[in-house]
Amino acid sequence: MAKEILFADLAQADTLPPLSKPPIDRAQLVRYAGASGDFNPLHYADEIGHLAGTGGVIAHGMLIMAFAGQAVTQWVPNRCLRRFAVRFVDITRLGDQITVSGRITETRLENGTGVVVGEMTAADQQGSIKLKGTFEATLPLQGAGL
Amino acid sequence: MTNRNELVNTELAHYTFTVERGKIREMALAIGDDNPLYTNPDYAREQGYRDVIAPPTFGICIDLWGGHDFTALCKKLQLNPLKVLHGEQEYRYYDDICPGDQLEAVCRLKNYIDKGKMYLFCLETEYRDQAGKTVLVSRCNIIERK
Repeated sequence: MAKEILFADLAQADTLPPLSKPPIDRAQLVRYAGASGDFNPLHYADEIGHLAGTGGVIAHGMLIMAFAGQAVTQWVPNRCLRRFAVRFVDITRLGDQITVSGRITETRLENGTGVVVGEMTAADQQGSIKLKGTFEATLPLQGAGL
Repeated sequence: MTNRNELVNTELAHYTFTVERGKIREMALAIGDDNPLYTNPDYAREQGYRDVIAPPTFGICIDLWGGHDFTALCKKLQLNPLKVLHGEQEYRYYDDICPGDQLEAVCRLKNYIDKGKMYLFCLETEYRDQAGKTVLVSRCNIIERK
């Protein structure tokens, strides 16, 4: 049984442990295209990238959001997640190495449960931001005694 | 040509999707997310879930494999695929999504704005399970550059 995360564990302004992903390669984009069903050739065919003006293949924005989702569900248990929103800031290219960083921005009590609000950014190896987002989760105040 | 303003507050798509264990696993592997809640039913049950669960961005998979794909969306909204960007994405979670769940999704155009250099489309999709309960709501902003 994984350790239960309680409201008190995530105090305001707490920096959350960053998630570092390996460099994105074409195989990952092809796999993600198949998994998600997004077969826009911009994500696997360089010539389409040139037509669209991106200079080549770019990663699916939703893959970067999925990386952010992986980070969020390492910070709070899946069942506690209530809301997860992102804004896509910039394109991500092959070879980019994404790190998702986050912090808690607000904690409050609501109907006997603890609500935590946090924000995250996904940036590449140069620190260039690809995505900014927020999340909200409800966490128990006390352990279930499992 | 349909006036895009006339599409506001109308249903753009209505589709169904049956959640499969293999699809959840494929999605987790494509993301490179090793959370066992997505692949190990025994672990998930130990943690108090019904079965393995869908990761936070699984909604995209429901849309694209459920029939509401990029090409269909471009046709419906008369978008130039090479000018389209995914601007923002939000998910609100109301219950777990597990294998065997039969989901029904309805996507509506909530707003359409001419922002000068671009057009902005705000879409909202509600996903209900076989019992009619809303399990997930997606809101996304799609940008078409002029």
